[in-house]
Amino acid sequence: MKRKGRALKGGALLSPAILIVGMYLFLKFVLPLFTAPLPASLIFLYLALTVTGILIFNTLSGGSMEAFFGPIFRFLSGDGQAGPMKVARLLVLILFPLLVGWQTYASTAPSDHPPAENRTIHPAPPGEFVGLSNPVPNTPENVMMGKGLFAAFCSPCHGNFDGMGPAAKGFTPPPANFVDPGTIAQLQESYVFWRIKNGGVGLPIEGMPWKSAMPRWEVELKDEQIWKIIMGEYDGAHQKPRTWE
Amino acid sequence: MRGAHRLSVWCFGGIALFFGTAAPDSGFAQESVAVRAVMVKGGVPGEDPSAAAWNTVPVSEFPLSPQVHWAPRIGEVTAKSVKVRAMHDGQRMAVMLEYADPSEDPDDAAALEFMIGDKKAHFAHGQPMAQVEGGPVNIWYWKNKDAKVLDMNAKGFGTLKAQSQQDVTGKGVYQNGTWKVVFTRSLTTGDVDHDTQFKPGEFINIAFAIWDGKKLESGDLKEKGSQKAVSSWWYFRAEPPPDYSAYLYAALAVGLAAVFQFVIIRKLRKGRST
Repeated sequence: MKRKGRALKGGALLSPAILIVGMYLFLKFVLPLFTAPLPASLIFLYLALTVTGILIFNTLSGGSMEAFFGPIFRFLSGDGQAGPMKVARLLVLILFPLLVGWQTYASTAPSDHPPAENRTIHPAPPGEFVGLSNPVPNTPENVMMGKGLFAAFCSPCHGNFDGMGPAAKGFTPPPANFVDPGTIAQLQESYVFWRIKNGGVGLPIEGMPWKSAMPRWEVELKDEQIWKIIMGEYDGAHQKPRTWE
Repeated sequence: MRGAHRLSVWCFGGIALFFGTAAPDSGFAQESVAVRAVMVKGGVPGEDPSAAAWNTVPVSEFPLSPQVHWAPRIGEVTAKSVKVRAMHDGQRMAVMLEYADPSEDPDDAAALEFMIGDKKAHFAHGQPMAQVEGGPVNIWYWKNKDAKVLDMNAKGFGTLKAQSQQDVTGKGVYQNGTWKVVFTRSLTTGDVDHDTQFKPGEFINIAFAIWDGKKLESGDLKEKGSQKAVSSWWYFRAEPPPDYSAYLYAALAVGLAAVFQFVIIRKLRKGRST
């Protein structure tokens, strides 16, 4: 009877363990089915919150605390242990300091990697470029002219709207792939107009303008030509500009 | 009950210690984005591209594009990529570019570009940026027929100018359809406003440019001026001297964790026996 009681108390650790593993599997594999994959740091944060919640829940009363911590304490103290449990305890006692040592080494060893770059791909445009509408009528002729201008000025880098032009290879960040639904399909025409007109050097600091090879086309193209290019770009990439309607 | 409470505090402490040390590294691994100038003993091998020391340092390779950022542009260039090796001895540094070129021509040329100081500079000659106050760039330009390297600065198009104090030396050797060009300079100079300063361990930006100076039938050069093969910014680091302090910290952490365990288990046993 006493044995059974102990086993039941030991079982109090099972549900938290299942909860933590379940939460990890959900964050790692299930959630990405509906949204973008979560970064490891965010998964870590959610798991830390889960562990904290479990600890708070299990320390609300003396009884629940004993049920939760009892098996852990008995395991760690090693009282009356024999066979596999004794070996398991020894392993834990050896591995824990080694793990802490390894993590300390990993976080203090000099890094060989360049600093991480948190470049904002679509930073906020200047106020004068918000809410502009394309003044050029969307006619087949204008779309065709836009595609012609795109071929002449943009395709060396942006290729066949896919960002894989012959001049694309040496540039980092790479030229945008307009076929990708994460680029111009997410943007209003006025935003694209700003990016073409002011080019890479027009970006704010979070866009890292010093790295962008995008020319400042206002130097060489008229506004009307830029608007036509935008039309041709959306049509060629089979995308629609984002609207607020 | 009080004993159990104390133990739970110890356990929370232990969990906090674990999570504190097990937090994932915020940086992420990147590949083929940096030139590593390894530290060598006994000095860098001067301007000799064929020196045996070059065979012992790691090679980075960077793709090149036709320069299309500003006019006059070029649609196709000879050099598609450049291999880069670098080393330093704590005093002087040397960078070697290696790239394919079917012909040796007097106007063949190559250049390195660096930012100067803390201000960001656009890779295209440090041209002005609308919302960021940019800085100048330091350009080291080698041309075959001049048989020397020019130490230059630019801050915007049309501002490229050779420095009055020339600190960079170099040499190019052409063999079997390949150029090997070495640039050497001391890691630091007294002129922080015009010269990039190389501090071991610090990542700085580097960019490359290559000109195929072949004379076309028209008499024009295939590549000249802004018509060249370019890269945008990559990284360069002069490797620091070996640092073993991380091993010391790790050993200290192992010791602390072991003491922590010992105290916990002692408390547990005491609690059980009372």
